Amino acid sequence: MKTDALIARLAESPVPVEPLRRPWIRTAGWLAVSLVYVALVVAVMTARDDLLSVTGTARFWVEQSAALATAVLAAFAAFCSCVPGMDRRLLALPVLPLGVWLTSAGGDCLAKLIQEGPSSIVFAEDWLCLPAIAIVGAGPALLMVRMLRCGAPLSPALTMALGGLAAGGLGSFGLRLFHSEEASLMVLVWQIGSVVLFALLTGWLGRHAISWKRLIRQSHAAARFS
Amino acid sequence: MDLSLSALMCQAQAGDSLAYTKLLREVSGLLRDFVRSRRRNSSPSDVEDLVQEILISLHAVRSTYDPARPFTPWLLAIARNRMADGARKFGRALAQEAKSYDVVLNLYSPDQPDGEPGPDNEALTAAIERLPASQRKAIELTKLREMSLEEASRETGATVGAMKLLVHRAMKSLRKAMGKV
Repeated sequence: MKTDALIARLAESPVPVEPLRRPWIRTAGWLAVSLVYVALVVAVMTARDDLLSVTGTARFWVEQSAALATAVLAAFAAFCSCVPGMDRRLLALPVLPLGVWLTSAGGDCLAKLIQEGPSSIVFAEDWLCLPAIAIVGAGPALLMVRMLRCGAPLSPALTMALGGLAAGGLGSFGLRLFHSEEASLMVLVWQIGSVVLFALLTGWLGRHAISWKRLIRQSHAAARFS
Repeated sequence: MDLSLSALMCQAQAGDSLAYTKLLREVSGLLRDFVRSRRRNSSPSDVEDLVQEILISLHAVRSTYDPARPFTPWLLAIARNRMADGARKFGRALAQEAKSYDVVLNLYSPDQPDGEPGPDNEALTAAIERLPASQRKAIELTKLREMSLEEASRETGATVGAMKLLVHRAMKSLRKAMGKV
């Protein structure tokens, strides 16, 4: 097909489109809906008995703030990653709170090891974390995928991994409100580990969830029904 | 320049067909130059194929353009991304083609004793005969008579891109027929 003929076909009856809102507005919208979902899950699961006492510790606040900031900045980066022409350095934003989160849990673990010896480090299997984070993160993850599918699939794996990190971060934030687990090694391995695993898994699925092929097919279908 | 393209894109997003036509025409010129500057060794038909692919992609994601932001970086980000995808696809196709070519050469060896076709050769000959005429011709010219794509396209009157596609599809069918997929 000649390019002029293609242009004529594309412009024949263009469906009006509403420009996507800016990434920070989309992030705010995603966060608002997701927090309602997380609150509902926490309410159903019932908040942990020792919630009041743990809220008195600085570590709880640092790690919860870092988890929430990781979720927010990863969501923002994911939305930026599907807007052509955005500064790619923005995609590194979640590294900072993720670093704080890891440092807090890892630092506490290391400090205990130095001060009290290896016997002070508690490690046990806690497979509940993985499905629990998946349940709390499922709502935010589904909403995230739906929102990301409206953007340009410039780097599907990275976009989806960032989206998974956002949903997983929020999942971990919610989990800590009903799951009593404060041992730093446990938090590091089971909670942060689950979030990272969730992000890697969604990144791996990226090409299937968002792709040029699907988007182009969708836009042709929309044109046919206009 | 950027402001006028941006204004045209805003009108296009609102569904203005004339503005959209004008925008796509202007943009196709820019894209042609951009693709040519990046792919100096590509044939004009390959350049045009890429320009068209970028235009289709632009159309699919036109909602991602934010009128408050400059137009050209948005356009070039799409172009670079589609060109990188195209290069990856081309690399995969070349590797696949090389593999398929080996398969055909291995299967269709004229050095069989007494010139007798072996069982594989017979199956391959039958599979080639079952191909659509245009694909059979493409295979005969490029693989059996060892012509280049340019020579084969001159011989048949098809474009180099169309010839490449015919060979690719024929190879895929042959590999499937020979159980090499």
